[in-house]
Amino acid sequence: MNWDRRAFIKFALGAVAGLHVSPLVPKLMDDVSIWTQNWSWVPVSEKGEVRSKTSINPRTLTGVKVKVLNSRVSGKRIIGLSGDSSFSLGNGGLLASDASVPQKFYYENMKVTTPVIRKKGVRGQVSADEALEVVIDRLRDLKQSGKSSRVAFFADYNCQSIVNELLVRFVSMYGTGHLIFMPSAERMLELVGESMFGRKSLGFDLENSQYIISFGTPFLEGYGSPVNMRKIFVDWKNVGATFVQIEPRASITASQADIWLPCKPGKEGVLAYAMANLIVQEGKASSFVKKAKDFDSFRKFLSENYDLDKVSYEADVPVDEIKKVARGFMESSKAVAVCGPGNSSDPGTLFNFMAVLTLNAVKGNLGEPGGLVVREKFSWENSDRANLDLSFGNGTISAKEKKEIRNNFNMYAFAKEVLEDRIKIDTIVLVDCNPVYSGPRTKMMEKLLKKVPFVVSVSECMDETSKLADVVLPKASFLECWGDAVTPYASARSFYSVHKPLIRESLQVKSTGDWIIGLFDGICDLEKDSSLSFRSVEEALSLRISNMGDDFEKSLKREIWLQKNASYDEFDIKTGTGKVNLLLDVLYKKYSRMSDVENLIDRDSRVVMMGIPSLRTGSVNVPMSPYQLKILDETTLAFKDRLIVEVNPSTVYELGFENGEMVRIISAVGEIRASLHFSNGVRPGVIFVPIGLGHTAFGLYLKNKGVNFFDVVDVYTDCVTGLPEWELTPVNIVKMGEVNDHV
Amino acid sequence: MVAQKNEKQRGWSLTSWWLFLLGFVVFLLLGFWITPIVLYAENPQPFQFSHKLHLEDIESCDFCHFFREDGSYSGIPGLDKCKDCHNEEDPIGETVEEKVFVEKYLANDKPVPWRVYSEQPPCVFFSHAAHVKNAGFECSECHGDHGKTDNLRVYQYNRLTGYSRDIWGWNLIPLGNPPDRMKMDDCVKCHRDSGVRDACFVCHK
Repeated sequence: MNWDRRAFIKFALGAVAGLHVSPLVPKLMDDVSIWTQNWSWVPVSEKGEVRSKTSINPRTLTGVKVKVLNSRVSGKRIIGLSGDSSFSLGNGGLLASDASVPQKFYYENMKVTTPVIRKKGVRGQVSADEALEVVIDRLRDLKQSGKSSRVAFFADYNCQSIVNELLVRFVSMYGTGHLIFMPSAERMLELVGESMFGRKSLGFDLENSQYIISFGTPFLEGYGSPVNMRKIFVDWKNVGATFVQIEPRASITASQADIWLPCKPGKEGVLAYAMANLIVQEGKASSFVKKAKDFDSFRKFLSENYDLDKVSYEADVPVDEIKKVARGFMESSKAVAVCGPGNSSDPGTLFNFMAVLTLNAVKGNLGEPGGLVVREKFSWENSDRANLDLSFGNGTISAKEKKEIRNNFNMYAFAKEVLEDRIKIDTIVLVDCNPVYSGPRTKMMEKLLKKVPFVVSVSECMDETSKLADVVLPKASFLECWGDAVTPYASARSFYSVHKPLIRESLQVKSTGDWIIGLFDGICDLEKDSSLSFRSVEEALSLRISNMGDDFEKSLKREIWLQKNASYDEFDIKTGTGKVNLLLDVLYKKYSRMSDVENLIDRDSRVVMMGIPSLRTGSVNVPMSPYQLKILDETTLAFKDRLIVEVNPSTVYELGFENGEMVRIISAVGEIRASLHFSNGVRPGVIFVPIGLGHTAFGLYLKNKGVNFFDVVDVYTDCVTGLPEWELTPVNIVKMGEVNDHV
Repeated sequence: MVAQKNEKQRGWSLTSWWLFLLGFVVFLLLGFWITPIVLYAENPQPFQFSHKLHLEDIESCDFCHFFREDGSYSGIPGLDKCKDCHNEEDPIGETVEEKVFVEKYLANDKPVPWRVYSEQPPCVFFSHAAHVKNAGFECSECHGDHGKTDNLRVYQYNRLTGYSRDIWGWNLIPLGNPPDRMKMDDCVKCHRDSGVRDACFVCHK
């Protein structure tokens, strides 16, 4: 037979049939079908042991259960957080920012994992030791050349925390007076409490109160420990407590109130004094107030300036409503009036704090269950080790500088003086704060950091401030280091808890406290300095716990959290006279000041601007995660990156603005662009801007999502306390000629 | 014309189909020979390991392969488990293989990247607890007599899918039962035979 075309075809057919019957083709088909399941972008969860460990998020004070996966090959990884129902604060609740901690932890555009140094404008990664050496060299040179006072430290204010204690000790030893804390409501409450009652650690006993008046306090938008506040709110509903919210916007808190008084912005304090006036005029003032030496003058002042009709007109709240709330407050056996922090992420105003604490004093709920109480202190709070007084340690600080440190809570005023060359600063060390974003004068802070030759930032994230720093020292997350969580703002009970490392991602990352101890080691002669007898934050915490009379190891085994109860019947007035100081002299001054601000607003601007705090958008200290963007609705952020601001239609009706109108919001210090959202739930004459958006850092998913509220916030220094205030900012709204229907 | 037609008929006659048969047989054999070469590649284990030797010194399989407190199965032990015996004071590193383990992995605290013969695809949820504790399976029913071996056999993986060859089975014709192969069909068959649900979501969550 010939090997012709036909023969070849027969052979080929046989070959094809043979190959198909062999395993090759069916196996290949099977494998290809399986291969199509293996796309590289489909996440594959790692296998390993999953353990649940307890911890506390010191930023939000949420007790959490952390799921840690221990993979045989790739080690430990955080895979989820859930609420811890056994924790003393809250009821197993969890915030969006807590739930997205793992995302922030592993999102390379947020977390700083290696120290960064900028040389000749170029940033490069170095080891922890190298970075620390650079900072130590700089600080040591300045100290040795007698220029310690040319170094400034910026930090968050949290006087009970171990970081604050270490920082104050370091600054004290180093010899500079420039330790500047971020403005906080806690500090404002301390100042007013000390002035009026001679007591610093004041708290509102919300858990036991039956009648609560909130003067603008955003209870459900991030107050104290938010999960605990939710629990308290539920308890109020269950026991039938009356909750009154006084603020100019129908916020989440206002929507849950039994009575909402939508007053004009900035008039909360005026209403508090009006209520105090009513109680005093009806002869029901407490003995605390009656015993005050200037009580008669006070009564006269109230009747002249806070007459109900006058206040009703000024605050635009009906007289009957004011009377109803004031009488309900007076008649309840467990009532408290609450102030601070402000809705614009501000510490609140001195005037409001004075008014609200005065109202409590007039009611006579001082030291009473459900009233204004003094927190019981932990044992170490009375010892030198934790006292923020700078008398301990071997620092070379002068008496003048000591005074400066103790009163330095105005970062804005400090920046102004440096920019105007009244203070010479060569180095700024920013400890866990981001003033270029949170301001309140962001552009001024940016200018300041650009002017100062050497800037160090200790930060967990590569945020706006760290991007401008010459050295970035990466701060460990609470999941990977030792640290503490302390009493939330104005809590009636003292609280202290410790978090321990659950995971170790990078050896180049340290807790803030350990970075400060590193500076101590490099700059001081520790053998001569008796103020630091520990070499790590873990040791320092161990010392604290043992000062409480507790065994550190045993405490850790039982997942420590310690709490001291509210002190009832122990409200000793500790002012110089032993009587309540009604601060009449301050009131005279403050009253005239308030009038000035109002005139300024009425004359130069069409509206005033306030912030909208929210647990969804993050806060100044806790940037939101990409996941959190998903829970924002179109009345906050629309078209992926456009900020939506709330305004009453009557505010802009005359100007011909429409719903969805794109506008420029211009203040004396800056400008932002946003779309208008008409809402009848806000007061006319006010524009409300969401807080927490508009970061210019954090990569693709968070950068430029909305605009930063603080870019347009103006700030002024209070004439009495010297503290910065920015509750209200006068602004103009200018049409941009673009209307988009965002909802 | 008639002659041409007869010629064509001869060309397609049954007697000449032996060429078809030849092509069929040759390529069938070629298919069997080439299939493993085309589809599978080898990946060496980091070093040799003797289950037999280890079982002489420890009580039982579950000293290393145990159920955790949460009910999940540990599978291949991590370095921490190895350190129970191979500690810093006495690393036990006499043979060549042990020296590799001690010097390369133990000293550097580096986990051993073992290739797992019975690793199922990520889309499969497999609970050892359900099969061992509830159904009472012996380890060897799925894994064979792995625990008695002195050496680790060659690890082969599929070039396309990356999965271990043990899943399909070493037999090129899909015949046999576990431990020879561990395909979905085997799971389904066993579930059906045992009266256990065999719906998709039982294994594919």
